[in-house]
Amino acid sequence: MTKFLFRKNIFNILTILLLSMLLLAACGNEDNESQANEEEENDTVATDSNEEEETANTREVEHAMGTTTIEGKPERIVTLYQGATDAAVAFGITPVGAVESWLQQPFYDYLKDDLTDVTVVGQETQPNLEEIANLKPDLIIASNIRHEEIYDQLSAIAPTVSHETVYAFKETVSLMGEAMGEEEKATEILDDWNNRVEDFKGKVEEKYQDEWPFHASVLNFRADHARIYVTGFAGSILSELGFKGPKQLSDDSQDVLKLTDKESITEMNADVFYLFMEDDPAVESTYKEWTEHPLWKDLDAVKNDEVHQVDEIIWNMAGGIKAANLMLDDLYDRFDLEK
Amino acid sequence: MKKEQSQPLFHLFKNRITWIILSLLACLFMVTIVSLSVGSTYISPIEIWGHFLGQGGGEYDFTINMLRLPRLILAFLVGAALSVSGLILQSIIRNPLASPDIIGITAGASVGAITFIVFFAGTISISWLPLVSMSGALVVAVLVYLLAWKQGVTPIRLVLVGIGIAAAMKAFVMMMIVVSETAVTTKSYLWLTGSLYGATMKDVIGILPWVVVFIPLAFLLARTIRVLELGDELATSLGVNVQVIRFSLLFVSVVLAGSAVAFAGGIGFVGLIAPHIAKKLAPNVFHLLVPIAGLIGGLMVMVSDLIARTAFLPLDIPAGVFTAGIGAPFFIYLLYRNRHM
Repeated sequence: MTKFLFRKNIFNILTILLLSMLLLAACGNEDNESQANEEEENDTVATDSNEEEETANTREVEHAMGTTTIEGKPERIVTLYQGATDAAVAFGITPVGAVESWLQQPFYDYLKDDLTDVTVVGQETQPNLEEIANLKPDLIIASNIRHEEIYDQLSAIAPTVSHETVYAFKETVSLMGEAMGEEEKATEILDDWNNRVEDFKGKVEEKYQDEWPFHASVLNFRADHARIYVTGFAGSILSELGFKGPKQLSDDSQDVLKLTDKESITEMNADVFYLFMEDDPAVESTYKEWTEHPLWKDLDAVKNDEVHQVDEIIWNMAGGIKAANLMLDDLYDRFDLEK
Repeated sequence: MKKEQSQPLFHLFKNRITWIILSLLACLFMVTIVSLSVGSTYISPIEIWGHFLGQGGGEYDFTINMLRLPRLILAFLVGAALSVSGLILQSIIRNPLASPDIIGITAGASVGAITFIVFFAGTISISWLPLVSMSGALVVAVLVYLLAWKQGVTPIRLVLVGIGIAAAMKAFVMMMIVVSETAVTTKSYLWLTGSLYGATMKDVIGILPWVVVFIPLAFLLARTIRVLELGDELATSLGVNVQVIRFSLLFVSVVLAGSAVAFAGGIGFVGLIAPHIAKKLAPNVFHLLVPIAGLIGGLMVMVSDLIARTAFLPLDIPAGVFTAGIGAPFFIYLLYRNRHM
């Protein structure tokens, strides 16, 4: 009995080890094969579209997930991130479906009037694939950060173009312009933006002369920490407008710097602060704690009385070209410049 | 798969057990039908039948073949794997609170997955994520085992070292989440909650071999588990090589939990509650507990995901939010019902 059990045990272990090794090897192969297949498929798609290029209405759009061929002018568009929904409205196009906004659900107030009949297809992080399929779209605008793993399924529903991020509002406009066959409109929107940027730069420099450029920090208070948005949406717009970033930033490689310790308050230092936060008692108490700290009172913006609370949606969450223009409007007003 | 399990049992075991398994299979069948029917578009069971017979012109090809079916199968496999993994751990550690979360397996997989999401997402294809998180689970399990080794591994050392390592891993995960950008944070949290969202047939094929090989292995090893439950001295005196058996069981458990977590993220509570439900339903038949626990675990995750994706349409919520919500009340009911027994 003893011997029998013991032998069986050894046998079992050998079986386990052997099987698992075989399995691992098998799985590895499988992955490679399926990837190779995908590549082949992509190749065939590419050659097909080259042949078709002569037909007027077929376009090849290059994007973060490869190249997608789009025929004709898409009319039923689904936008899967806030910035894309915003951009669609800027194009004067009403999407058939869009993801729910983070606040002011279902859509941000500044877009609500333009999106009255739009179907909500779930949240940006997990849009509902069945809802999207039901809408029978002919173009889907997605983002790699959010939708990389469902890209194949989205593509099975409709041609899908994907951007790397969610806040690069200008790239979103060009990508969507290309995908929707509205390149001219896209150029117009972007030219308009560039002109406004130049106009702002000229006027702000004229007004402040040598004081310009200011250092600006975009701050956000959370329930348990504070953040500096170095790049991202607001940060990139401010630097495009000629603002300089925080004065004593120790690490400028990060998009968002999370400060968990009040001793790092000095990292925030700048001539002017734009801060936004959620309307929540816990956040407010953090804000109170941080702003009562002695180091806070030493910051230049605090001494100059240049701490401004701004709209969280326009400055951070919306991430589209319309929001960018609204943020610029806000800056014109705050510096008392003529638009 | 359903038939294979029920037929040999029919001859060998008492009626009660047969009935339990048959009714679980019936539940499985019903949940399958309901899950395939409901969603944003309702497809009647008759139409589903037609679809599988090839009638109906393929109008549901996308909804059923690409969305609902893979998700359903993955849910079942993940649930079954977690449940059997938990069952084995509870027996070898001889602690009813043991589960893959406790001895660091889930935490190890999380470290793998979150490291991947934070540092490599975008540069390396996301299809490597399951492999990375499974390696994380294995590495941590080996670490726990080695650290717990002191002329053999005793259950209590395994638990203590496991809890310690799990805590360290969780701290590491939190640190990575805190230092990463907002979008990545959201993605990491979704993964940690555990979701079957976006499941494809590729995922199903990825997890299938592990489950198909290691659950039957657990079944084969199960006879010796009962002896282990008597305690190391007694088991050794009965002629069981305790260390060898414990190592193989632990290995099976790690592989099952690791593969489940790799494909569905940190779905919690199934590995803890499903085995208990199985034990309450069918006490004192350990080798049969493996299929029963597997079925219950699979059902739990299937029902959770069904609720998660339909209750708040059009929102699609991570199934991990509901696993405890489904399992715990039923468990409490069983405890309540059995309290006079």
